[in-house]
Parts: sequence; structure tokens; C-alpha cells
Amino acid sequence: MPIFLGYMPVGMAFGVIAASVGFTVVQAVTCSATALAGAGQFIALSVMKAGGSLAAVLAATTIVNLRYVLFGATMSPYLKGLTLPRQAILAFTLTDETFAVNIADHRQGLSTGTAMAGVGFVAWCGWVLGTLIGASLGSLIGDPARFGVDFAMPAMFVALFVALAEDSRHVRIGIFAAVVALALPGLASLGIPIGSSSFIVIASITGATVGAIVYRDEEDSHPATTTPHHD
Amino acid sequence: MGMAVLNFAVRFPPIAIVSRIDLPRPVMRWLSFIPISVMGSLVALEVLRPGGVMANPLTSPYLWAAIPTAFIYWRTRSFLGATLTGMVLFVVVRAVFSAILGA
Repeated sequence: MPIFLGYMPVGMAFGVIAASVGFTVVQAVTCSATALAGAGQFIALSVMKAGGSLAAVLAATTIVNLRYVLFGATMSPYLKGLTLPRQAILAFTLTDETFAVNIADHRQGLSTGTAMAGVGFVAWCGWVLGTLIGASLGSLIGDPARFGVDFAMPAMFVALFVALAEDSRHVRIGIFAAVVALALPGLASLGIPIGSSSFIVIASITGATVGAIVYRDEEDSHPATTTPHHD
Repeated sequence: MGMAVLNFAVRFPPIAIVSRIDLPRPVMRWLSFIPISVMGSLVALEVLRPGGVMANPLTSPYLWAAIPTAFIYWRTRSFLGATLTGMVLFVVVRAVFSAILGA
């Protein structure tokens, strides 16, 4: 159940921040229950807070969520043999967090369609319940920043990075992508037209491409987690 | 909600389509580097450019809370523990920095 417990505080953070932007409890919970977008929801809130239009909010969340195309494609070889409706359910519950848990399970040979659906369902429950609690508390506790809510998402992403970084090639590529991501705002400020919402997508594609080229001679891209063998 | 529809539209087709064909090995290799690259760039932007502005790394509570958070997750493998401890550390580091710097 770690994913449930891991999601609760982030869901609560979302609820608290949503309340501070003027969402009602019902609106915040509806948003979490239907979207389960994690980072996308936070970004939507920040665009709304800055007075962005509905179109601006939708554009920002869509671009941020483009990484799910990549996530979905990465997961899908493990999902062969599932029926279309079951894949649809998994697609709905696919997030940064469930993705990391599912990939880790898969590497340990534990991953099945049922297990993945379970991970997704549990994450959804944690997220929705957390939002409910957070939005309800939000009006009571005043400024959510006092409780470190600003750091809830970054902390979760840091943990996920460590969770996914299990061999040195992936660590190097992850760091490379991070450097690219940080360089992009510099390029944007030089007048090269890169929207800030596409930094993650560009850096990720660059990182993976460099990884695939640099490590092309190695036989298997999926590290064996159990028994390292030498041929 | 528009967001729900868009989310679903973005997530479902790749799963439905790609799971029905065999991917060549180079494509699989490329995909295997996607998650870590996404997470690397997310962490970099969230921790070093909080709110979309480059923070001074020496005085950024985001960075100084992120380092122990990574260590805690590495040792405990607990998302909850790492997230909550990270938030507490963030509050503490921010308070210490604002006391020292008088900000």
C-alpha cells in the first residue's frame, strides 16, 4: 500500500492549494477523481492562479501530459494480452507514480495486469481521499505553504527519480536530461521559441535518444535486477 | 471535465496500439530511457527552478531539502516517508535560511 500512502499527502496538498485558489471541496474532489493528473493538476492550478484562461489551462496540462504518451508506450509491451477495456482502465490510472511502481514490479517479475490495475486503483483512492481531506482542511489551516506543501511534488519526484535510477546508465541519462531541461530556459531567453511547458518533453526525448544511441551496443536495455551474469 | 477527456485521450491510444505490435529492439531501448529522462528533467525544473525562476542553489531550500529526501528514499524505499520527511526538512531549511539571511 505504499502508493496509497504516498499519494495521500500529495492529494492533500492538491486539495489545500485548490481551496486556496477558490475551488469548493466538491470541485477539487471532482477534479482529482476524473483527471488523476498529478503534476498536470498542480500546473492547471498555477495557471488559474495567474489568471490564465480555460484554453491556457487546457493547453498547459495537455503539453505536460504528453509524457504519458511516452509512459504509455513504455508500459504497453508489458500489457500484451489484456483486453481493450482493461487497458483503458490502466490508461486512466497511469501517472508518474503508478508508472514507477509498475516498472519496479515488472523488473522484479511481480507485474501482472491485475497487479497493475490494483496499483492504479489504490493510487486513485489515495489521491481522491487526500484531495477531500486537503480541501476540507484548506479553509481551516490558512496558508498551506507554512506546512511545506510547496515541496510535496518535488519531494515525490525526487523519490521517483531514485526509484527509477537503478543502474549507472539510467543515472547518467537522467542527469543528462536534467542538464538539458535546465539549459532550455536559457535557450528560450535567447529568443529561440521554446515554451516553458515543453521543457520536460524536449529534455526527455533528447535524453532518451542520447541514451539509445550511446548504449546501442549493449544487448539488453532492461537491466537484470536479480542475477547479474557474465558471458 | 475537459482535463479528464484530454488525459484519457493522451494515455489510452499508445497503450492500445503499441501493445498489439512487436516493437523493434532499438525502439524498446529508447523507451527504456524515457522514464528516467522525464523524472530527471522534472526534478531539475522543480528543484532548481521552483516557480519557473532559477533559484540560487546555495540558498535554495528546495535543493537542500531535495538531497536528504533522495537519500531517505534510497535507504527506506518509502514514498510516504520520503515525501513527508522532505516536506518537514523543507520547512526547517527554509526557516533556517530565512533566519540566517534575514529574508
